[in-house]
Amino acid sequence: MATLPKTKPLPGSLLGAFFHAWTWRMAWRDSRQQRGRLSLYALSIAAGISALVGIHTLKTSVQHGIETQAKALLGADLLISSRRPIGEEIFAKMPSEVRKTGRETAFSSMVSIPTGERSRLVQVRAVAGGYPFYATVETEPPEVWGRLQTGGGILVEGALLEEFGLAVGDWLKLGARELRVLGVVKKGVPRSNRFSGFAPEVFIWHEDLASTGLAGGNSLVYHHRSLLLEAGSAKELSAVVSTIMGFFPERGVEFQTPEKRREAVGESLNRVNEYLGITALVALVLGGIGVAGAMHAHLKRRAQAVAVLLCLGCSTHMAFAVYLAQAGALGLAGSGVGTVLGAVLHAVVVVAAGDSLPVYVSPWPEPGITLLSGGTGFLLCCGFSLLPLLQIRNIPPGATLSERPGARMGGDWATRGVCALLVLLVFGVALFNGATPRRALALTFGLSFAFLALAGAAQGLMYLTKRFLRPAWPYLLRQGISNLYRPHNQTVLFLLSLGLGIFLLLTSWGVRTLLVRQMRFDAGGNGPNLYLVDVQPDQVEAVSGLLHAQQLPLIDSAPMVTMRIASVKGRQLEARAARKSESEAAGAQADAQRVPRWVMEREYRSTYRACLNATETLVAGELSSVAGGPDAAVPVSLEQGLARDLGVEVGDTMVLDVQGVLLNARVSSLRKVDWSKFNLNFFMVFPPGVLEGAPQFQLLATRIPAGQTSGQLQRALLGLAPNVSAVDLTSILSTVAALLEKAVRIVQILSGFTLAAGVPVLLGALLNGREQRVRESVLLRTLGASERQVRTILLVEYATLGALSALAGSALAIGAQVAMARWIFHSPPGLDWAWLAAAFFGAVLASSLAGLALSRGICKHSPLLLLRGNG
Amino acid sequence: MYIVEQGISMADPVFPPLQPPVLEVRNLVKTYTEAGSALTVLSDIQLRVRAGETCAIVGPSGSGKTTLLGLCAGLDDATSGSVLLDGQALENLAQDGRAALRGRCVGFVFQNFQLIPTLTALENVLVPLELRGDSAGRPLAEALLKRVGLGERMGHYPSQLSGGEQQRVALARAFVRPPKILFADEPTGNLDAATSAPVVEMLFALNRESGTALVLVTHDPVLAARAGRIISMRAGRIVSEEHTGHGHTA
Ligand SMILES: Nc1ncnc2c1ncn2[C@@H]1O[C@H](COP(=O)(O)OP(=O)(O)O)[C@@H](O)[C@H]1O
Ligand SMILES: [Mg+2]
Repeated sequence: MATLPKTKPLPGSLLGAFFHAWTWRMAWRDSRQQRGRLSLYALSIAAGISALVGIHTLKTSVQHGIETQAKALLGADLLISSRRPIGEEIFAKMPSEVRKTGRETAFSSMVSIPTGERSRLVQVRAVAGGYPFYATVETEPPEVWGRLQTGGGILVEGALLEEFGLAVGDWLKLGARELRVLGVVKKGVPRSNRFSGFAPEVFIWHEDLASTGLAGGNSLVYHHRSLLLEAGSAKELSAVVSTIMGFFPERGVEFQTPEKRREAVGESLNRVNEYLGITALVALVLGGIGVAGAMHAHLKRRAQAVAVLLCLGCSTHMAFAVYLAQAGALGLAGSGVGTVLGAVLHAVVVVAAGDSLPVYVSPWPEPGITLLSGGTGFLLCCGFSLLPLLQIRNIPPGATLSERPGARMGGDWATRGVCALLVLLVFGVALFNGATPRRALALTFGLSFAFLALAGAAQGLMYLTKRFLRPAWPYLLRQGISNLYRPHNQTVLFLLSLGLGIFLLLTSWGVRTLLVRQMRFDAGGNGPNLYLVDVQPDQVEAVSGLLHAQQLPLIDSAPMVTMRIASVKGRQLEARAARKSESEAAGAQADAQRVPRWVMEREYRSTYRACLNATETLVAGELSSVAGGPDAAVPVSLEQGLARDLGVEVGDTMVLDVQGVLLNARVSSLRKVDWSKFNLNFFMVFPPGVLEGAPQFQLLATRIPAGQTSGQLQRALLGLAPNVSAVDLTSILSTVAALLEKAVRIVQILSGFTLAAGVPVLLGALLNGREQRVRESVLLRTLGASERQVRTILLVEYATLGALSALAGSALAIGAQVAMARWIFHSPPGLDWAWLAAAFFGAVLASSLAGLALSRGICKHSPLLLLRGNG
Repeated sequence: MYIVEQGISMADPVFPPLQPPVLEVRNLVKTYTEAGSALTVLSDIQLRVRAGETCAIVGPSGSGKTTLLGLCAGLDDATSGSVLLDGQALENLAQDGRAALRGRCVGFVFQNFQLIPTLTALENVLVPLELRGDSAGRPLAEALLKRVGLGERMGHYPSQLSGGEQQRVALARAFVRPPKILFADEPTGNLDAATSAPVVEMLFALNRESGTALVLVTHDPVLAARAGRIISMRAGRIVSEEHTGHGHTA
């Protein structure tokens, strides 16, 4: 004992301590008898992270799916359309990324039954080449779409057969050909013409087109080429698309990409993404609460051991490092398990949901996003466990000598720093989840506010019970209630875990309700699904009478004047085109104000009215309701996208060619239009008092109830006003509706999962403070308290804490839902009181049960045994 | 018997005054302030413990013995006055500096043993060595455990040991790296007479062999009498100090 062995002093810095072998050895040894409890900690992490990973991978897959769905709305990666035939030779030199080329020739023609008794104007679409590439066409009988493109025949809409009184297998006459009706197209053929659909569609094989003799002299033929490209990133695809566009220098060629079609799906799916992001954050923060709670309880148990180490000469850094190592290792293990579970969750949801997913989603989660989510979750969990870990520094070595509580949790700089770090991390995760910076800020602020409010509520509660507890109250009640403020109380713990948990779960459920309601509204809604186009002013009365007779609502009507753009800001269309080709020839930079050609060339159908409709919002200027003086430029309101394409702002002038009459106009306002709603919307809106004299049509909008077709109405129209065409949107709307319905399913599955992951974490948190109560109860028992008395005291405490946490959590959740309904969804809050009540009573019940379970445990054992075990 | 010897030792201090003090307490005051009212727990304590000296602190419960012990070991901050441990003024050291100083020259034995419950007996004994970065101390720890009679129980956890056994493990832990001064707060307070006897024997034997100074807080007059000096406290003050002539025969 006289000769001391050579020693190497332990490192002084935290970093050095963390990487020292002793730290890890000690962390390992220290965990030995705590495995059960530490597994609760690891499980909280695993629960939070599995939700995060599952939601993220699903979100990515679904996003992917939605992109594909948008492609299904177009049927191809690129659609090239022209009024003139597109030369075959161009397709010979297409880039190698083009995998397939489909073709379609579309025109209007009459179709009749072979006897010629009945005929009908239809939109003929002659297709070949496997179009559409991205949508499955539903037909009755099935599979006939493929047969059409190999053997010919004709496919029609159900309404047409109904109108003609024919069945599948009968013959129809189109031009010089008689074609056999192969079947009925129910859904899935994307519309190729931007403004087509004035008549029912019939489909024939492109090879049969020549034999009908119709395509030749028809001036209203559209030629389409649809391209399927090699899969690649959005950037790669758009590069290929612009290369291909370069092959068509001539005027009058239009290009369409899936992005443009996606507008039809509306904002709802963006909200789904946002919702999934919020849910992931909620799951993670719930996990964080579990982590912080479990770590807190663990360290409370280890406080004596830490004090001993300090007495034996261990530095605070070393002691801190031991538990940091423990938390870090467990966090890593929990994250690993959580990541695997999340990947499994992804697979299970994909396999279980099967058809209810919008599109095919691989059951294998994307590895990149899986690892990234797992890593992010790990960081956040470490952040959450730092808060209790920091308390180690406040354990006085003197705790070995007396059991007096040590220094209180201080608002020192390290704690504040960790809080700030946590807030930053939450913000970062919100951003990572796909929120805009503003939204992420709002979420972070909301969460921090809830946290502070609950901590404040806990303090207030302790003050109030201390203040108002009366000695006159029954002993057991008094004992239970005074547990709320006495030393070792669990008030803060309960409000911060149970209260925050209830807040998060209710809020995520509330957002889900808001979202589902909005999507259902978007999907079904009461918007129009059938337009009657080209109604002459003198036919309006008769046509609306017909609608009335068929018990169809006249939802909207608008006058429509066709016009073209003659010049913008004084510059002629021709001059613009000339300048562009000049600059291209010179290889100079593209004209900064290049306007898509079709924007300048196309025919605009404009209306006039004095106010906005429900799907429009003003984004700049004022909507003029008066025309202004006779010589002044006419104020016109432009749709903001068109204004962007034209490069005009409020105050700019343009000249419009209204069927030969030039009209000076000045842009007076810009409107944002929600095109997804299929209301009667227009690129240009004029004030009343200008266009009344111009040749015009009326546009009427009605709604065909679900399950009915427009066949009857169309037949009646034919007799009454043959020039009127019906644009039937029921099939495209049902596609969108189906997509949204599927998205709703996913939202429901995931919110269910969050609930399932969150509840056990909260129940675990309820039991975190049990040791102190067990000890006290055993003492009461040794002092002669009956089993019933102990149970009542515990029940009073736990039920009160549960009720108050639930109350505070629900109140905050109601606030959050009202705020979100108002600022995000622009809808009434639609609070689900039944659900709120269920959550409230559920929480009270759960925490009462926790109290009861505790008392059962105490009463089953002999007091002596427990006292010894707690020594 | 100790009354007789007391007289001798008073007149005849065995330790020559040249031995440097390991612990020197000057004008020590400790006051707790709670809810505005101040409670003075220790007032004006003067104490000097020389190397190898044994010293018992006795007094009624609440007289401030534990508080004094804690302050001497740097486990808490004094309100005023100073504590010099191995020549270093504790009030000038930060928490970690004091911990390092404890690691170098202080040992502890507690009333409630304070073994780390998740470590085995052997691992508990090894902690002070490991904290110094000494990884070759295992044979030494094993030898000490055998010495206190627990050679067969080295792999057992504290919960598997009786109180007396736990306290013997604590003794082994305290002496595995012989400290200059050992603080013991009622080391037999939680043990019955039969169990405490061997613990006390071992405490004094180990103490003698390693030349450690001992500061012992106890209620037990028999135990106190085995120390070379008995300091009596009452209401936060040292009221008497007597030499027994024991404990410095090293
Ligand atoms: N943290 C504290 N706050 C208030 N009073 C304390 C605190 N610690 C000790 N005391 C008081 O100091 C006095 C001395 O306590 P202590 O040193 O434990 O006495 P002893 O060990 O002699 O029984 C007691 O009256 C006790 O109430
Ligand atoms: Mg004491």
